[in-house]
Amino acid sequence: MTDWNCARTEERLSEYLDGILSPAEAAAFSAHSSSCDACGKLVAQVGALVHHMRALDALETPPQLIPKILESTLGPRTQSAGWQRWFAWVPQLWQPRFAMGVITVAATILIALYTTGISPTKLKKADLSPTNVFRTANRQVHLTYARSAKFVNDLRVVYEIQTRLQPDAEPSPSITPAPAPQQNTQPPAVNPQEKSQTSPHPGHSQSRNGTMLASLLSGNWTGNFGAVVICNIPRSPQ
Amino acid sequence: MEPDAQLVQGCLRGEGPAWEELVRRHTRRVFNLCYRFTGNSTEAEDLSQEVFLRIYRTLASYRPAFGAFPTWLTSVTRNLLVDHYRRTRRDRLTDSIEDAMPKLENKQSAARTPDKLALASELSAQLQQGLGRLSPELREAVILRDLQGLDYSEIQSVLEVPEGTVKSRINRGRIELARILEEMGLRPQN
Repeated sequence: MTDWNCARTEERLSEYLDGILSPAEAAAFSAHSSSCDACGKLVAQVGALVHHMRALDALETPPQLIPKILESTLGPRTQSAGWQRWFAWVPQLWQPRFAMGVITVAATILIALYTTGISPTKLKKADLSPTNVFRTANRQVHLTYARSAKFVNDLRVVYEIQTRLQPDAEPSPSITPAPAPQQNTQPPAVNPQEKSQTSPHPGHSQSRNGTMLASLLSGNWTGNFGAVVICNIPRSPQ
Repeated sequence: MEPDAQLVQGCLRGEGPAWEELVRRHTRRVFNLCYRFTGNSTEAEDLSQEVFLRIYRTLASYRPAFGAFPTWLTSVTRNLLVDHYRRTRRDRLTDSIEDAMPKLENKQSAARTPDKLALASELSAQLQQGLGRLSPELREAVILRDLQGLDYSEIQSVLEVPEGTVKSRINRGRIELARILEEMGLRPQN
């Protein structure tokens, strides 16, 4: 290979660097490049470049690229790993119907607490123990039952009084006054003032009854119940 | 059967996990090829996505007998890069600054993008700039040979040119790149 020259060196340079020249060609190439400064420099320069490029690490893939590719090919994907899977349902709660449901439940609980007399701000840690919770609930149930029973009884009395006062407005001979209860014949506490007001004016029963009803409905009528009954039971015929 | 060929068969049967594995396995190669060719991270990402979309649609046309899957993938990527280059050539030619200094945009974007952090060194960044100043034919040959590690026969099947042309392009590309880097005041040491 005595005819090996600079042009041929440049032309076969990559083949030499990649090791695909025949042994004879490689020997001639080496001989020329070691004797020619320009070719020797070119071989060293390109050889260093190739070495450098092959030593370069591949660039890292951008983290969002693979999900984007999968989404564009397989469609939208919801991937959640680890603990996030357990809370994947949380965003669904922000749908309007679930949010309205949550608000309604919270409002119901607040109203129930308020009704039963439990104040969330005054709650103590001890109140949350099962014994105290049971005791409070038991007490509230009994109180509620007692109030309800009392309310029903009160209504019954009011209606009974109204029924008895009805004949005054529309007198009817067929209606006879009901027999007075035993305890009303001898009242434990009779208001003398009221008795003195009612007894001299039996003819003014309508206005008197209105006053009594007002006092009954105003709240403090249970104490005067006996007096009310006494005032009405021994009515003289018109 | 090779793992890639098995994955391709799984994909053709409609198995999502097989496609996901195939994507995870080859995204880095495709992204690197796109980035080295364009020098722009955003463009490289878009092109990589486009490559896999095309692969997904044409996977049935792949025949293992005609070559390894990575070679086919590289071929598809290269064709798409050439299409992209031709598509954007008019934009580049209309820019007077880019007329004067081809690939200035690529050089600047390579210096600006966060990918700079991923580059191994300043030398690597300048190498990318030098690649951008090569003609597309020489650039793709050098990238496929020295940065993607393909052998001559693989490059021949990717570029679909005779073996002599492959050798010539690789050789001219290396010499041209070495001269460009020398002009930039950069001389890699062995």
